[in-house]
Amino acid sequence: MSGSHHARGGVLVMKRRALLKQALGTGVLLPLTGPGATPVPCLAEASENVPWEIVDTNASLFAWPFRRLPLDTAGKIVAKMRALGICSAWAGSFEGILQRDITGVNARVAETCNEYPELTPIGTLNPSLPDWRADLRRCAEEHHMPGIRLYPGYHGYTLGESRFQDVFEQVAGRNLFLQIVVSLEDPRTQPEWLQVRDVDPLPLRSLLQSTPAARVQLLNARPRGGMLTELASVPGLYWDTARLEGTAGVPELARGLPPGRVLFGSHAPFLLPEAALIRVHESNQLSEQELREVYASNARRFLRSPA
Amino acid sequence: MTSSSLNLPGLPAASQLRSYRIWDAYFTPAHGHPGRDGSSQLLRDMELSEPAIQKGQFEKLCYFPHVGLGTTTDADLEQRLRAHPQLVMVPFERWPDRLLGMIQVNAHDVPRSREAIRRWIQDGPMIGAYFPGGGPAAMTCTHRNVALLVEAVVSAGGVIMQHTWYKTGGKQGPGESTPAELAELARHYPEHSFICAHAGGEWEQGIRAIRGEKNVLIETSGFDATAGFLERAVRELGANRILFGSHLPSRSLGTELGKVLGAELTEADKQRILGTNFRQLLQRDET
Repeated sequence: MSGSHHARGGVLVMKRRALLKQALGTGVLLPLTGPGATPVPCLAEASENVPWEIVDTNASLFAWPFRRLPLDTAGKIVAKMRALGICSAWAGSFEGILQRDITGVNARVAETCNEYPELTPIGTLNPSLPDWRADLRRCAEEHHMPGIRLYPGYHGYTLGESRFQDVFEQVAGRNLFLQIVVSLEDPRTQPEWLQVRDVDPLPLRSLLQSTPAARVQLLNARPRGGMLTELASVPGLYWDTARLEGTAGVPELARGLPPGRVLFGSHAPFLLPEAALIRVHESNQLSEQELREVYASNARRFLRSPA
Repeated sequence: MTSSSLNLPGLPAASQLRSYRIWDAYFTPAHGHPGRDGSSQLLRDMELSEPAIQKGQFEKLCYFPHVGLGTTTDADLEQRLRAHPQLVMVPFERWPDRLLGMIQVNAHDVPRSREAIRRWIQDGPMIGAYFPGGGPAAMTCTHRNVALLVEAVVSAGGVIMQHTWYKTGGKQGPGESTPAELAELARHYPEHSFICAHAGGEWEQGIRAIRGEKNVLIETSGFDATAGFLERAVRELGANRILFGSHLPSRSLGTELGKVLGAELTEADKQRILGTNFRQLLQRDET
């Protein structure tokens, strides 16, 4: 991608950001022209049939490394989002899991998201690679990404290591949020030759307590044992719903945390977004207000401001 | 949003779900232990599942009762179930029009399991036998004892559900079965159908392992709502070899029903998977 293309993309990103900011302020996404021109049903069109605004905090673009997925192009995933009434999705890149050209990965995410008003680009960083700070700078200054997604299990580090602490501080210092992918798939179904354990999030306790302005969201976490008890009171720590299980999995997580900490996430296109949408409300244990918070309000607060 | 509807854009309305006539082949309230009194935990889990069952508009659900064959590690419970077999019927009395049952059998205790197959399947009201993959009754399905019980179930006119998984790193217990092992068993009984529960979990291998054995069907629950599963299964097996399972309440309605609703399938194929196939297997009246 040429430098001029970058610059043009940057202007487009800034225009799109301004529109999105305006939309988020009013709760309405505006119809745009271009490839992603179809108006998105949001609060303004809420009715009995479209009851809530829905923000997906855990989506990804491009090819899953291990098989073709039905929604592994941006056009298909956005069409599905529109069909399901999902107003906005925070999109990382499956390319960032195994590829080393993180600079190119992030540029493609930014460029693709620029074509679809529903998509918010999330940057990937791999602190195991040299010069990751330049990638962070590009994410913040060139692509205007609001957050960074990390894959510690796939990039070979733990949250107790100094290189993670360095990333944590740099990201927080730029007032970006951090998404930590705790898992990508059930360890029982991973390829034999690429087995990756779930990330242990407990080291976040001390980091977040000493950096109260930081915002961290755990993606695809399935709290087990005492994990939730250990992390419930940690400031600035948020969760998503993508891999929760049990018919009451979402309300159980919400009850175990301070208000506002559970954000809707689908892990699409690896997982079916329909599954995530139904899971949030299937138990009838969340009130209308709580449902609105999980589906969108908590995400908008998380996006806009420090914890 | 009403309490008995999915009512989100792009998801079927209640009337559409009712038209599917959903028969759940894998309902798991208190799957490992029904409660020390034989039913209390089971009934609690049924109640916990109720909102999801209503939202999904399920017609029937098949669960797997313990009947005192040593399928739990609770000796007192096992004795209680043997002494008071009416306890097994408590959930059926709670949901008389909804519940179906496949008894959990124990291939480590062939004589007692055969007797239970006669008592509960041949004489009714159970529709078949469940061969567990974990717990004290688990036995790999290529073992001769399993074949002996399979023959008893066939003779009693029941259906067979075998728990299966392909786990990365290998089996987590000596009694687990893989879809390949079920295919090996099923090869010896080509006239009888076998249900491969969970499609092997890691369904890419699971589908391949059983696709050559036309008398093996897969059941859809027990793993994440991974996109592409049912499209692949229909392509490789045909929609008539797939049975929907909910795994409620330990799994979510979203995960399990979402697999079918979110798949790129024809409406006719969804209908087959969600209910028609199970009814045909049970030779139940379609009306």
